[in-house]
Amino acid sequence: MTKRFSSRFLSRRRLLITTSAVAAAALVVMAGLNPVQSAGVPQNGGNITFLIDSLGSTWIPNNSAISSFQGHIWGHVTDKLVYVDADGKVSPWIAESWEQNDNATQFTLHLKKGVTFSDGTPLDASAVVANLDIWYAGRRNEGINPIGLFPKTYDRAEAVDATTVKVFFKATTLGFIPTLGYHGSILISPKTIAQPASQQADLAKTSGSGPYVVDSWKEGDFVKLIRRKDYNWGPAAVGHTGPAHLDSITYKLVSEPSLRVAAVQSGQADVAYNASPQELKSLKEAGFTIATPRYLGFVNGLAINTKLEPYNDVKVRQAFQSGINRKEILDTVYTPDWKLATSFIQSNVPGATDHSDLLAYNPGRAEKLLDEAGWTKGSNGIRSKDGKQLSLTLYSNPYLATSKSIDELIAQQLGKIGWKVYIRAYDVVTFGEKVKFGGPAVPAYEVTRSFIDAGTVASILTDANNGENWFALGESDKKLNELRDKIASAASTQIRDPLLDELQKYVLEQGYFIPRTQIVQWIYVQSPKLKGEVYNGIAYASYYTATISE
Amino acid sequence: MNSTYLSYAAKRLVQAVVVILLAYVFTFVVVSILPGDPITNVLRDPQNGFSEKQIQEIIAAQGLDRPILVQLWTALSNFVTGDLGLSMRSNRPVTTLIAEVLPSTLILASTGLGVALALAAAIAYGTQFVPRRFGQGLLRGFPSLFLSVPNFVIGLVLIHTFGFQLGLFRVIESNSFLATLFAAIALGIPVSARIAEVLIANLDHEAEQEYAAVARGRGLGQVRLFAKHLLKPSSLPVVTVIALAIGELLGGSLITETVFGRTGVGSLVQRSVSTQDLPVLQAVVSLAAVVFVLVNLIADLVYPLLDPRVKLIGGPKYRPTTADENSADTSRAVTT
Repeated sequence: MTKRFSSRFLSRRRLLITTSAVAAAALVVMAGLNPVQSAGVPQNGGNITFLIDSLGSTWIPNNSAISSFQGHIWGHVTDKLVYVDADGKVSPWIAESWEQNDNATQFTLHLKKGVTFSDGTPLDASAVVANLDIWYAGRRNEGINPIGLFPKTYDRAEAVDATTVKVFFKATTLGFIPTLGYHGSILISPKTIAQPASQQADLAKTSGSGPYVVDSWKEGDFVKLIRRKDYNWGPAAVGHTGPAHLDSITYKLVSEPSLRVAAVQSGQADVAYNASPQELKSLKEAGFTIATPRYLGFVNGLAINTKLEPYNDVKVRQAFQSGINRKEILDTVYTPDWKLATSFIQSNVPGATDHSDLLAYNPGRAEKLLDEAGWTKGSNGIRSKDGKQLSLTLYSNPYLATSKSIDELIAQQLGKIGWKVYIRAYDVVTFGEKVKFGGPAVPAYEVTRSFIDAGTVASILTDANNGENWFALGESDKKLNELRDKIASAASTQIRDPLLDELQKYVLEQGYFIPRTQIVQWIYVQSPKLKGEVYNGIAYASYYTATISE
Repeated sequence: MNSTYLSYAAKRLVQAVVVILLAYVFTFVVVSILPGDPITNVLRDPQNGFSEKQIQEIIAAQGLDRPILVQLWTALSNFVTGDLGLSMRSNRPVTTLIAEVLPSTLILASTGLGVALALAAAIAYGTQFVPRRFGQGLLRGFPSLFLSVPNFVIGLVLIHTFGFQLGLFRVIESNSFLATLFAAIALGIPVSARIAEVLIANLDHEAEQEYAAVARGRGLGQVRLFAKHLLKPSSLPVVTVIALAIGELLGGSLITETVFGRTGVGSLVQRSVSTQDLPVLQAVVSLAAVVFVLVNLIADLVYPLLDPRVKLIGGPKYRPTTADENSADTSRAVTT
């Protein structure tokens, strides 16, 4: 049939006419429907502007804090050994695969071939060793710091061959692989690492292996990144490995929040960082994309100083835990984008378990516990014991804009059950100076903190290995120390997860940590024309996979 | 130019150098007695995850644990030799940081001064020649109005109206011509108020003089009367006010730069103060001192040349009589 059809109708002339007609029709159709047809295929080209409130203080790669503003730039200019997504899932990136020994003290990383830094240096095993060494030790006398959250158990790393690295630890370090996916662990060219701090501080002189390179920058003003055309080693987890689609990304500093949002509204910029939560509803209704990714870490909450009266009494701490209406905090201060805390670590952290029952609002239970502890309500509605008022001073976290509003709400909620709450709001400098974990006048220290791996949590809570001793318990709580030691020496997540669950339950039951909300540290207001960005485990937006329509 | 003038000039020059050095030392002392030290504040950011021991090691590496006098001496001797050191915050050379931001601020400040002068002249002209029923009184109220509206409010209104609503300039291209002009308008408006006040007072004074009446009697037109006869004698004290306005322009540039998303000396100071970046702060304060001292030096050196009645070296200085003589002199006493 087909054969007959073709032989009868498709003379050379007819063929010519038919093909040109089809071609013409196709052209017309494509011209008219171009955006619709290509919706599934990312288009190359385009420039975007990202308005940000700060670009942090230094560009020495090691010296920028794990969740500071520079992370946005580093995320595009550099690669990491592994990729950690928003759910904490670890997947290959520059390291294609890895093995570890039974007690997690030795790791072998197998690197992708053909990866180069933008200065032409190959990203091989010796480059990885140079990076691991400086992450661990820094060069302090030159002003290059170690990375604070890099495992302190690190011993050494060896290049076995061009694409194989062996890493040795002095003790079990289950968190090593996830650590490699976080912001601090960015791979920098050995040539850059060899430079003195003053050279490394010039962003233009830093070479990474990322999908973008620094085109130009001016301190306190802007950083312009342009696409690297030969990039071909993106993380498989984001579904794209070739060059980025957007030609350039410009990070521009605009410190006034309303201006950032207004600039996106008027089409002068594509993304505004850190808008106020109250504005989000109307922006969403106006068609803007709002992203409020959560990061992996502790929830926003209060670490209680158990040395200080009356917080040395477990009943008072438990009353505190039950006396807070967390739902009301979300409804009043935030939007539905925020989530209730279910533990003292964020629910997307691998190993986090749901202990909502311990965090339910139960003012009756709180009052009963306080009565039992001997704090009786006076005629003014405030409880007292032996002539002392039941009081609490909250130091609002200057790093979190909404902190004070939450404190005010907590003051009301606790006020109802007879607590007198004072609120102190200091600037960053004064806060750093006066407010410390377990400080002699600080009953509750507010935490907002990302971390690398749930395994490190336990040692932060106590004072083991220079731990931060959040609850001022020292070595006094046997059960907590036991859990800490077991978690630190667990060689697999199968062994560790039940222990982590037990730890979460214990800390919440004891009222050592009072969660407030899960934290959304960063808010992105984005033009609807920009699509396809990806948020990683510390809630940074990557525009490597993004496209923009004109 | 006689020897009295030269020795006067030399003495003023020495004074200028001393002022700059004192400003340097003063900044050092003030920042040093503030609570906390710069490195610790950055390192203590909980996101860094440094232990107390690590922090102490880093502080020692930076030499911040040495006695304060030793640190001052090192800083001062470097400063005298022109070495401004590295920024503690960014580890980049202070001279580079300043060279990056200075042009933008100079452009903004000089455009702002131009706007202020033009606006002041226009208002002053209006107060003399706009008929009362068309709002002369209203014009006289302008300087007080300009002074009472905060700088940043003017800036935000300008940005929202001309930037976002009318789309005349893009906030993200903060160094474009129109963006700079609107920033200069925001900066120049309050400054114009002071200049206008002095100018109006002097014009009022001059307009009552006999020569003005004669000129009017001869039928001289308003514009010529203003430009040829009234403006010149009224302008001499304005020179003093402009010298003072330089300070206001530099100070105001901090807010204007923040609002308009510009980078300049103002934003550098803001970042350095918040992180107690001592080397940068000292360099900027010294720079400000240099500007002030230079402007005053020029004013002081120019005055005796303009007006021979001005006495040199010590003794009460005599300036041409103006309605604003007192306020001008008190401020000068402070800055020199």
